Amino acid sequence: MSRRVLVTGIGVVSSLGFGRGEFWGNLVAGKSGVGPVEAFDTSSLGRSNAAEVRGFRPRDFLTAAEARRTGRCGAMTLAAARMAWEDAALPARHVKPERVSVVLGTTMGEALVIEQLDHAWIHDGPEAVDDRLVTRYGAALLPINVARAFGARGVTLALPAACAAGNYAIGFASDLIRSGRADVVITGSAETLQQLQYSGFVRLGAVAPERCQPFDLNRQGLILGEGAGVLVVESEEHAVRRGAAALAEVGGYGLACDAYHITRPHPEAEGTISAIRRALDATGITPDDVSLVNAHGTATKANDQAEARALREVFGPRRLPVTANKSMIGHAMGASSAIEAVACIMSVVEDACPPTMGYETPDPECPIDVVTEPTKMTVDVVLNTALAFGGYDSVQVFGKPGKLPHPRDVKRLPS
Amino acid sequence: MHPLDITGVGVVTPLGVGIDAFVAGLREGRDGFTTSPDTFDAKPYEGACVGEVRGFEPGKYLGDKGLRTLDRLTKLLLVATRLAAVDAGIKKDGQYLSLSPRRVGLCASTAYGSLEAITELDRVAVLEDARYLNPAKFPNTVINSAAGYASIWEDLRALNVTVSNGNTGPLDAILCAGMYLGAGAADAILVGGAEALSEALYLAFRRLGVLREQHGGANGIRLGEGAALFALQPPEVAAVRGARRVARIVGYGTSFEPPESEVLMVHPSSVAIGQAIRAALDDAGWDASSVDLVVSSASGLPDFDRAERTSIDAVIGTEVPIAAPKLVLGESLGAASALGLASGLAWIGALSDGGPIPLGPASLRGETRAEAERVICTAVGFYGTAAAVAFTRGTS
Repeated sequence: MSRRVLVTGIGVVSSLGFGRGEFWGNLVAGKSGVGPVEAFDTSSLGRSNAAEVRGFRPRDFLTAAEARRTGRCGAMTLAAARMAWEDAALPARHVKPERVSVVLGTTMGEALVIEQLDHAWIHDGPEAVDDRLVTRYGAALLPINVARAFGARGVTLALPAACAAGNYAIGFASDLIRSGRADVVITGSAETLQQLQYSGFVRLGAVAPERCQPFDLNRQGLILGEGAGVLVVESEEHAVRRGAAALAEVGGYGLACDAYHITRPHPEAEGTISAIRRALDATGITPDDVSLVNAHGTATKANDQAEARALREVFGPRRLPVTANKSMIGHAMGASSAIEAVACIMSVVEDACPPTMGYETPDPECPIDVVTEPTKMTVDVVLNTALAFGGYDSVQVFGKPGKLPHPRDVKRLPS
Repeated sequence: MHPLDITGVGVVTPLGVGIDAFVAGLREGRDGFTTSPDTFDAKPYEGACVGEVRGFEPGKYLGDKGLRTLDRLTKLLLVATRLAAVDAGIKKDGQYLSLSPRRVGLCASTAYGSLEAITELDRVAVLEDARYLNPAKFPNTVINSAAGYASIWEDLRALNVTVSNGNTGPLDAILCAGMYLGAGAADAILVGGAEALSEALYLAFRRLGVLREQHGGANGIRLGEGAALFALQPPEVAAVRGARRVARIVGYGTSFEPPESEVLMVHPSSVAIGQAIRAALDDAGWDASSVDLVVSSASGLPDFDRAERTSIDAVIGTEVPIAAPKLVLGESLGAASALGLASGLAWIGALSDGGPIPLGPASLRGETRAEAERVICTAVGFYGTAAAVAFTRGTS
């Protein structure tokens, strides 16, 4: 069995707003979600900016019981999932519970819950650790709370793949549908900003003082962010049967691992090149079919140069537009590739490309065409790259419905 | 699912490191529990008793270089990965014997993998200052860190996937690996799970009041740790390199049933367990009566054990032998069903010469039959999830 996989709903919680309309409007206008961190004290760290999700109140989206069961990460996930479910207009009677799955990713999950548990233990001893909080910690709870909300009874799976978690989750969700194990999958990823993790990135020397400037010669590092991006993906048969409109088609994906360094990408970008090629092969398309790349673009020298090298290697000297959302929404870590997947799908829907902000001086080591202005263009096929901690290389293809080859016509990759 | 051949096994367990030590421990009917663990100071916790990989010396398997900043979970996973790759004949003395590094991946479960590092760094940040955080230890706070390190240590350049799905993780990792292998994304994937004991993990379960030492008698769990990895390959790919087949995985099933009350979290569901087992049987194309052994998830939590027993009796029958590896290894969460699968392989005689070995103190009902081939291995999550895998020594 090999079926088309369609995106029929989108939900997003981001530093640029909630829901695809608000998020996309701000993103395509080049607005920045970056500002001084409000959630915790950064005064001793020498860095103070991040793209925080401001004004998120779980009870605006969650029931009282749901809000009690989740930390901020789970709450943002569930909020985005609810938006996506409503966007997909999936009434319960249209779906068989055992044919609905949930696949979600993250880097650290409920980082604020473990912080609370740890701090109680450190300050007040073991007896101060609150057992009710213990059952709010653990990546497995992200899909479980979503499955509970929408009556899903199929696979409930958490794939923590650091900053590639969204791509990993969406890719596996599409596998479940393509192989016939599910008809509908709620998929995406989420992350919360938290003090220890913020401090760790600062200690690694990765954080920029003010802004994130992907691929710019004078970039100074990444800006952390947070949020959640969730898609409802569905088999073509299922969507057609209920008369649902597809926003985009989920194409193939490519995964590889550098096996080189735990935090730095391989300078020759061999893994990234192989992941891009696999994604194209798995979709049954060639480099020339690609309209746009939504780059990982963290604005660290190591990432940007390796990523640009890989893109140049696969796509050659042709002027392929590349955009990097992290210039506005920061690096939302585990959530980033799902939020950027939302941007990819909106590019397909709107035939438009959001700008890369802060790109002022081209870096000769990054020989790619960076889009710096909001641009109307035909977007039939877009690539979402996510290159993560652990040497992870992941690339996901999205296309306009009907523009990608049917999966049954795609040759199985050579073993 | 497409069948997957197990072509190699690597285990790091409270009964010993490596297949031989592990099988010997099971054969002798030993358990892996200790009241004076290496991993944390148990004195403040009256009666503490855990299933620990005692005297674990990763340097013996990995050399001494580069281990200093790695956490325990990573070291457990690294050793199991290396042992599995060697046992499968994929690698020897650090070199690839067969297959290309680009075609070998990893898909491993852990439930609470980063806990030890997070709590350690939190202490530094709170009691000293965040400026003193050791950046070399920061990577360990990320859930997929251990798998990432394993890719570097063993040069595994195909996909690298961490599953963090509570107790069902290792069996779910088999589903994932099956999908990836079915799509041709790799020729072999090392699949399984790892979990490490730490004071933080122990304290969390102690606060939940579910440990056996808090109850006395047979009620309550004993926490455990360990790692088990299996080299999985599609049979036709394994045949190309003439790989030995330890066993064949032929079915997977999963289900989820939440509690009726909206405010509850922890919840055993016999409905979910039954559906997961039934789905695994259907996937395998097996008749329930042909199952020779059930390797259960039973851990000493009365409600959970009862729910699972009810489902096994209803779906597979009241005669089938049932084993509970956690009774001798402890509850190792994200590693447990991988260790369960390894135990099942050992009990049906797939890991040693001389046929099946007795269940001993891990028996909940009956004994392994002389010609035992077909096994159902289950995993029961704390929040209403369940998974089951069907494997066989035969070729069906």
